[in-house]
Amino acid sequence: MINFIQSILYGLTIGGILYIISIGLSLTFGAMGIVNFAHGLIYAVGAYALYSVATLLGANFLVGALAAVAVSIPLAYLIERFIIRRLYGQSIDYAIIATYAVLLIGADALKWFFGASPLPISDPVGELWYFGGLQMPAFRVIIIALSVLVFLGLSLFFKKTLVGKIVVAGLQDREAVRSLGIKVERYFAIVFVIGSALAALGGVLYAPLSTLDPYMGFEIIILCFAVVIVGGMGNLRGTAIAAFTLGMVHSLTAAYLVSSAADAMVYVVMAVVLIFRPIDAPA
Amino acid sequence: MFSKVEKYPALTLALIAVSFLIFGYSTSLPKITDFIIFCIFVIGFDLLYGHMGQLSFGHMLYLGAGAYGCGMFAYHVYPDPFLSLLVGVLVGAGLAAILGLVVVKTSHAAFALLNLALNEVGAYLVLSPLHTWTGGEDGLSLFFKSYGFINFSDRTFRFYFCLAALLLVVLLVVRLVRSPYGILLKSIKENETRVKFLGYNTYMYKYVTFIISGAIVGFSGALTSLNLAYCNTSLMAPSRNVEVIFAALMGGAGSVLGAVVGGTAFMTISNYLASYIVRWEMFLGVALLAFAFWFRKGIWGYARKL
Repeated sequence: MINFIQSILYGLTIGGILYIISIGLSLTFGAMGIVNFAHGLIYAVGAYALYSVATLLGANFLVGALAAVAVSIPLAYLIERFIIRRLYGQSIDYAIIATYAVLLIGADALKWFFGASPLPISDPVGELWYFGGLQMPAFRVIIIALSVLVFLGLSLFFKKTLVGKIVVAGLQDREAVRSLGIKVERYFAIVFVIGSALAALGGVLYAPLSTLDPYMGFEIIILCFAVVIVGGMGNLRGTAIAAFTLGMVHSLTAAYLVSSAADAMVYVVMAVVLIFRPIDAPA
Repeated sequence: MFSKVEKYPALTLALIAVSFLIFGYSTSLPKITDFIIFCIFVIGFDLLYGHMGQLSFGHMLYLGAGAYGCGMFAYHVYPDPFLSLLVGVLVGAGLAAILGLVVVKTSHAAFALLNLALNEVGAYLVLSPLHTWTGGEDGLSLFFKSYGFINFSDRTFRFYFCLAALLLVVLLVVRLVRSPYGILLKSIKENETRVKFLGYNTYMYKYVTFIISGAIVGFSGALTSLNLAYCNTSLMAPSRNVEVIFAALMGGAGSVLGAVVGGTAFMTISNYLASYIVRWEMFLGVALLAFAFWFRKGIWGYARKL
């Protein structure tokens, strides 16, 4: 029983990280109809920025996290301006190819600067919390709390602020919003940058649980696509539910079946969902 | 001038055969054999991407299925090269027939990503749960029976056999693309809804095309096993999907000759230039961006107009 609760809690951590990374992907997908592989690059860059600041320069973990988010914003802007913006209204295949190319270039650049071997980052809190017989690294509890905070913050953002409302309206009917004289694409660009900053945060949170390697973006991005497809593209609440469900699938498979089967199981769930609810990307 | 070549299948076949013979004898036969097999892979992939308009990001799965189908049959059952090849093709087609039931129902983004996800699952299955039969990380070393001059350990024989296989595939696909079936396929690419209005069951056409593509790609996988005399997980690696996409784009999607040109060009770059290009993935990325943004017609798309 203790083991089961433990796996559930671990599933919540993975779900929380998946949610934080997937939200940007889901918005780009829903709003612009673009499959953005470059999102995985920003996640990896976030983790490496943390490594450079916190491990190489010896600064505080929080400073490293801030640096990661700070680096991701101009990078996201560049990707939006020079890659994504060219792909509006084009065949989605070119979007897949072009953003995958960006991911390839970025991964190779990371390999160039940091080497190909995996780099470790130690747990910044380094404390275990005990609840009865249950033990849980405090850092994982923080991850769960942060993901809930992000969810609440984004809900407020999309309900209360003007930018958020315009984006939600644009997701429903882009032409109608544009006919009101609002430049929807500009607001999508803002959301794109916010989503990317969250991806970098996801990289920061995931790095201490695993190791860094230049190809880490490739691994996570497919999991996140599974989240987006299961949750519905551009569906904010659906993304959250899908992220936590798939996080649970991931952690329970690892605990009770075979640990190496966890990723594969997530894809199987995605395939099953697609059987019963076929979807098309927005045109 | 080159556009005339496409009009006559005999001319197309002759051009391909002569170029590969010159290419093979002026460089090295084993290397060009790899080129030829890769071209078959690109043709199978492009049947979906160029002709039907659906980008699969996981076609390494069918290459691996063909390679392992052929390899495992030769290793565990009977090392006859032709039976093994046949098994490879059947495994590729059979897997496409099963997975196609789900995959073909999706389109565009979901199609690409579902294929990629299934490729990941396949690579995992081969590596870990099935390792007693697939040899896991080490793969399988293969031996094939020989009958007189039909000897797959002979380099020259392998070259001619693969060249003949390529010509056969080109002939089949050129025929297919020009038939009423192929024209319907093109119409589905342009506007599926309208084709549906005309009363055609577009799902069936897409499903059959998916199986044909799986069979061709499985065939190229089986040939790879036969040619290398081993099969391992690199033949199913999801990270290598970008190679075939790049080749199809570079050659010019939607044309059989374009696929052959693209396959050859990609293999030339990766075999002869890769040692001079220090940052290989960066080069690949930049070239992909260039083709996706500025040169969408590909090499053959420009060359045919000469």
